[in-house]
Amino acid sequence: MGTLTLDAISRRYATTIAVERVDLDVAQGEFVALLGPSGCGKTTTLRMVAGFVPPSSGRILIAGRDVTKAPPHGRDTGMVFQSYALFPHMTVGENVAFGLEMRKVARAERDARVREALRLARLDGLADRLPRQLSGGQQQRVALARALVVNPAVFLLDEPLSNLDAKLRAEVRIEIRALQQRLGLTTLFVTHDQEEALTMADRLVVMERGRVRQIGTAEALYERPADAFVAGFIGRCNLLRGTPEAPGQFRTATGALLPRLPLAAPAGSVLALRPERITVATEGTGLPARLMAVTYLGAQTEYHLDLAGTRLLAIAPTPAEGDPRRALAPGDAVLAHWDPAEARLLPAEPGDLPDDAT
Amino acid sequence: MAALLLPATLLVLGLLVAPMAMLFRISLNRYDAAQMMQEALTAENYLRALADPYYREVLGTTLGVAFTSTLLALLIGFPAAYWLARMESRWKSLATILTLFPLLVGNVVRAAGWMALLGRDGAINAGLIGMGLIAEPWPMLYTTGAVIAGILAVVAPYMILTLAAVIEGIPRGVEEAAANLGASPMTAFRRVVLPLALPGVAAGCVLVFILCMNAYATPVLLGGPQFKMMAPAVYDQFVRGTNWPFGAALAFLLLIVTLALTIIGSTILASRSRSR
Repeated sequence: MGTLTLDAISRRYATTIAVERVDLDVAQGEFVALLGPSGCGKTTTLRMVAGFVPPSSGRILIAGRDVTKAPPHGRDTGMVFQSYALFPHMTVGENVAFGLEMRKVARAERDARVREALRLARLDGLADRLPRQLSGGQQQRVALARALVVNPAVFLLDEPLSNLDAKLRAEVRIEIRALQQRLGLTTLFVTHDQEEALTMADRLVVMERGRVRQIGTAEALYERPADAFVAGFIGRCNLLRGTPEAPGQFRTATGALLPRLPLAAPAGSVLALRPERITVATEGTGLPARLMAVTYLGAQTEYHLDLAGTRLLAIAPTPAEGDPRRALAPGDAVLAHWDPAEARLLPAEPGDLPDDAT
Repeated sequence: MAALLLPATLLVLGLLVAPMAMLFRISLNRYDAAQMMQEALTAENYLRALADPYYREVLGTTLGVAFTSTLLALLIGFPAAYWLARMESRWKSLATILTLFPLLVGNVVRAAGWMALLGRDGAINAGLIGMGLIAEPWPMLYTTGAVIAGILAVVAPYMILTLAAVIEGIPRGVEEAAANLGASPMTAFRRVVLPLALPGVAAGCVLVFILCMNAYATPVLLGGPQFKMMAPAVYDQFVRGTNWPFGAALAFLLLIVTLALTIIGSTILASRSRSR
């Protein structure tokens, strides 16, 4: 049991920077997800915590102890590898007992703890099997049990669900979270899957090209993204380049004038507007727009709008039968409306917007 | 498929099995100084080889050199093979070629090199005397040590490449998992890497042991006239003594001992590696 502190850790290679000055505090029992596209440095960060990659600079503290220079076997972390990395020549029971053996736990206690860990991971009766005789889901749970049984100060998960099929993944997600909460494990979890991160973690760390873009709860990241990258990475978002005009106005690149949050928010050049916060109506107030496409998705309907040359996506619960909006078709004129408070100005770096891709 | 195997099968039958059968037949004949050999069916050549203290000593020397060389090749080869297998840089293929380098030179040429290095007036003695460390040349050539060193240089590449192939198949993650669970590098090696590498250890040792048992040029050139191993002894019987039946019996004895030890050794290793 313990806390985890990353103090400005960096990892530089000859020609590239994998991780650049990452600061993070994980509280006792907290579940933090490192989230980002591939190559963002999340796995390197996790491997620095485990001790497999030495940081170029910065410090790592586990339970208050500086382990920056400690070898992997002296760190008291329990890691679940993406490939599971089970010992193929050992039975399930021997795999789970390995960490306890290394810690010189007496035989009787070791056996009891292995039994308990196998029970928690729903692997009763499989102790004498070899890993290759198990299904992927079972192997994954052996890897979990093996890491948990030693009661590590920090629990590390490196994309542990990526080798499971979609249905199993949803189940295991809930299982891991329940286990983590029950045992009060301080957890660092690496994933590229935002849904995984949003549903499992207490806090998320959004990384991009080696740097932390924002740290916060799922709600904070979604409602108050720090920049255009985070807004676009967490959930769906309309991100429009343009220039803010006084007061509460924003002119897009195509010249459309849109209402925005009038506060002098962080001076930025991108307007971020969540699609479900835009109301599409046939009458009343709002900016006139033309419907480009309507996509019926059952519970929701997506409306692709054209506002004086600026494209906007709106998502709304599918209107009831008889509602005039139900009959909307491409080419129709509609009114788009949103609370100006929902349209935030965000700073953006080159490459932050999907449209920036060349 | 079966048709495609025909050329290889014929080759093995014609060039390996047939000569071996003929050699075995010869080993049962009786030596005759006048007409070289007489047709017979006798085990006396084998009995003589086993009873003669000289040939028992030759077999003992051969086994001693082969065991020592195999063990040393394993001890030297494992770290090298591990390093080679875990190498990630672009120099890996170069390192592999360098490992094979000793094999690019023929046995005799290489032994001549060792002679120039280890001899009375060789480079090492000249250097040691020049530095004033020793007064008299240190006898290194024509010793068991020289033979083992010479054989090691030949067999080490076989050991290293065989082991490296198996170690490459051991995922690095498994070693990391062991370290993560608290195993020191030595413990991780003993509990995880070595057990998983056992099939490679078995294959490498068998290959190297067979090569050592049958070494010819190296013991002749680096061991000198007094030093005898089995392969040169067989040669002597065929060429110098012209006693073909006895030479054939010695050859079969060598084959049987090598085969028996190989089978015993690999069976033990196979049972240890628990490959169910």
